[in-house]
Amino acid sequence: MADPTAAPYVGGKVANQSGAAVSSGQAKYTADFEFHGQLHAHIVRSPHAAADILGVDTSDALKVAGVVMAMDGREAAEHLDPIPHYIDAAVFGGRTTDVRCLALDAVRHYGQPVAVVVAADKRTAQYAASRVRVSYKRREAVVDAHDALKPDAPRVIPDWDANLIMQVPFIGGDAEQAFKDADKIVRTRINIHRQSTQPIETRVYNAVWDLQEQRITLYATAQNPHPLRYVLAKTLRMPENRVRIVAPTTGGAFGLKMHGHPEEALMCLLARLTGLPVKWVESREECLLVGGREQSHEVELALRKDGRILGLRDRFVANTGAPTACPGWGMAFLTGLTMPGPYDIANVDVLMSAAVTNKPPWNASRGYGKEATALALELSLDRAARELDMDPAELRCQNFVQPEDFPKKTPTGLILDSGDYGTTVRKTLEVIDYEGWRAKQAELRDAGRYLGIGIAYELTPEGGSLPGTMVAGYDSSTVQADPSGTITVITGVTNPGTGNPTGIAQIVADELGVPIDTIRVVQGDTETCPYGFGNYSGRSTIVGGGAAALAAQEIKEKVIKVAAGLMETTEDSIQIAGGLVTSSENPDARLSFADVCYAAYTRAYDVAACIEPPLQATRTFRPGLISHAPDEEGKINPYPSYSNAAYATVCEVDIETGKVTLLRFAVTHDCGKVINPILVEGQACGAIAFGVGGMLGEQILHDAEGHQLTNDFINYTMPRAADVPAIDVAHHDSPNPVTYMGMKGAGEAGVGGSAAAVVNAVNDALAPFGVEITDLPVSAPRVWAAIRAARAQPKRKVA
Amino acid sequence: MSENMEELLEDFIYWQARVNGRLQDAEIHPAMSLLDLLRDELRLTGTHMGCMTGHCGACTVLIDGKVAKSCITPAASVQGKSVTTLEGLASDGDPHPVQQAFAEESGFQCGYCAPGMVLTTAELLAKTTDPSDEEIQQALAGNLCRCTGYQSILRAVRKAAARLAD
Repeated sequence: MADPTAAPYVGGKVANQSGAAVSSGQAKYTADFEFHGQLHAHIVRSPHAAADILGVDTSDALKVAGVVMAMDGREAAEHLDPIPHYIDAAVFGGRTTDVRCLALDAVRHYGQPVAVVVAADKRTAQYAASRVRVSYKRREAVVDAHDALKPDAPRVIPDWDANLIMQVPFIGGDAEQAFKDADKIVRTRINIHRQSTQPIETRVYNAVWDLQEQRITLYATAQNPHPLRYVLAKTLRMPENRVRIVAPTTGGAFGLKMHGHPEEALMCLLARLTGLPVKWVESREECLLVGGREQSHEVELALRKDGRILGLRDRFVANTGAPTACPGWGMAFLTGLTMPGPYDIANVDVLMSAAVTNKPPWNASRGYGKEATALALELSLDRAARELDMDPAELRCQNFVQPEDFPKKTPTGLILDSGDYGTTVRKTLEVIDYEGWRAKQAELRDAGRYLGIGIAYELTPEGGSLPGTMVAGYDSSTVQADPSGTITVITGVTNPGTGNPTGIAQIVADELGVPIDTIRVVQGDTETCPYGFGNYSGRSTIVGGGAAALAAQEIKEKVIKVAAGLMETTEDSIQIAGGLVTSSENPDARLSFADVCYAAYTRAYDVAACIEPPLQATRTFRPGLISHAPDEEGKINPYPSYSNAAYATVCEVDIETGKVTLLRFAVTHDCGKVINPILVEGQACGAIAFGVGGMLGEQILHDAEGHQLTNDFINYTMPRAADVPAIDVAHHDSPNPVTYMGMKGAGEAGVGGSAAAVVNAVNDALAPFGVEITDLPVSAPRVWAAIRAARAQPKRKVA
Repeated sequence: MSENMEELLEDFIYWQARVNGRLQDAEIHPAMSLLDLLRDELRLTGTHMGCMTGHCGACTVLIDGKVAKSCITPAASVQGKSVTTLEGLASDGDPHPVQQAFAEESGFQCGYCAPGMVLTTAELLAKTTDPSDEEIQQALAGNLCRCTGYQSILRAVRKAAARLAD
């Protein structure tokens, strides 16, 4: 293993460079900013899922000492336009509606912002908000997605003719024929429950109005500062160049901090109207309103008796909640597009229905719908393996796209870049000692203990780009070599808390041949950084790092030219390493990188006349493979990179309580070139904890009227240290031909594959009872109930 | 006070305690949490708000050397006591061995949970420098991390333990 403190840095275990600041409490998050005259906002939210607003009375709130302003939706609408949609369904032929910061005449979901109060301190704001009186006329709420799609269902949006954003078919080959030719058809109904990303840092916005410049600066937990600036300019009716977004250190994002949230523009408006800084810190209860992932699938596999899958059908419905300007609903689209995952199934007939209901809206959730594809496919494949009496790994390997097939066009139009799925599975089985656990499982079953072994595969398209939206595939970075030889990298990608600046610094250090501690990476400020799209879709190191590499190469060329002049030697003979510049032709001449930089700035009319000063370059990395020109069937490929991974886990189920304990976890991860194993493995393990938690405990519940019941971390039980077993991470890297050094994304893979492995393990453990749970989660009460039901009816299978 | 105005009637109390070794005082509302006092009055922002219900542990501090959730600790209850926040764990500018181990092992990703992870580990390792994995997991049971899957945190704790045992 390379020494992480010396070049080359790429591939080495370089520690996350923010370690000293984080561990000493000096990292500064958005809530830590406080400005002179700081005011605080509190939001009044709807207690109903569906109601008409008959009136809002803020007069009592305004009587509270310390209150500066109180506002309802009607007043806000005088100043604010509807929020532009992050991904407008209308662009793709779907239904759309205006989304406002504060509800106007009606509320569409529990927790919807109705009014806002601004006061000198947060306690006063909260108290005064309780004095805002809103009269509602309740209407019937529609909570379940299947109910919502019935013709006579109440409409979430009155002027829509159906509670449906859009219905999209994903079709390739001839599924009908495949099902006619099948020896066996395996049907699986899979219900994925509503979950929420829940970073430990909630959303925070602090808006500062600059009277002189007539400019707003929003300090924000924002994954995408530049696109948010566009959205705020539109909503606030302001010139875009008078809006600035600063995204400080971020305490986790996972999609939650992609924009479209009503509080973003609202805080800006309040700051503009009061002339003072206005801050809002989301409570945990508010944060838990933002959901995702809820889908129900009806999957059918057409199989030959030898296990070859001839065709796939899936009818699935996503309950995306009430319409929002956030990009959550697009996850349902990606679930369909990613079918049939890593499998070579020529005949595919998938129909996606993105329903709206009176539940609170979705936002993007790590995995962005691709985790649902993995769950639907991997649970179905396990059922097929059981029904065919085949080994689940064998069934998968038999149906994978093979290494020689890449680039592989899928039936839905994706073009998979690279992979070696079979080897990845076999490696995982070795790492976890699959055979050993099978033996132990048999042994312990005789002793009345129930172990289960589950495997799953996940294909994760990353680095996406959707035409006509701010989901762009490219990004830009500026590299600047300063006169003293330090390097400043300014990039359009942002850091949600993953450590990508460390990866970008490694890349630039190696390209330039300088020590990594001379590099500083700057992100998250629309007035400092080149225009960029921020963080999503596992893109930051691919495009931010790729762009920084191109810019660094340009700087290096200039440094070499100046050095050759200074050393009176040829450019070809120059080498830069460890911050030293040497020439193979003139071993005595040695210059520091800093000396050459200084000359490049100060000797523009002699030795540096050969370059264009300063030592600064901005470049864009636009990965290939993305294709927005529709093919003959109208299909596009919005992704440059297809990370993939195999997961295996071992669990023990306590059949008396239903409690599932994970004993072991293994993953073999293919994210192409690994820039930093610490960062990649951190991403993989974090995503696995998402998948594990999502299946074993996390669930957002609503009652029949649409009131949200899950409002704190007692009810939303995310995994704690003892809940995540030891994870063995192996790599099997097949380089991506269209990215810098062969990188693929590493941020999203893991959620769906690990979730599916957990469910498959539980069902494997419960096979002796004939129990197979596909109505998720596999939390203790559900597992207990399923075992109990099976014991009551010993001869029948319980789904 | 004009007749249209409603005051939040309450008696403020005079508060005094030692925070990170320094004697501090403030006029506080009786219901104010220690978290709000540290962050809003003393501007010690290294202690983080995560849930305000005591479940996530991002607000962890040490009170007289014992781990406490500052979001559910009334500030008034620490009158005259000694509070250590993450900013105050270093001594004479040298990071505490636990801080060093977390930095070296990247025992965090976004870092927001670091106050709880680092201070809880410091408390654990003050009792034993040879904790089992189960003991570490038990000690950290009150602290949520959403980024790491806990693998790198456990590595950091083990490294800190080994260093303190030397």
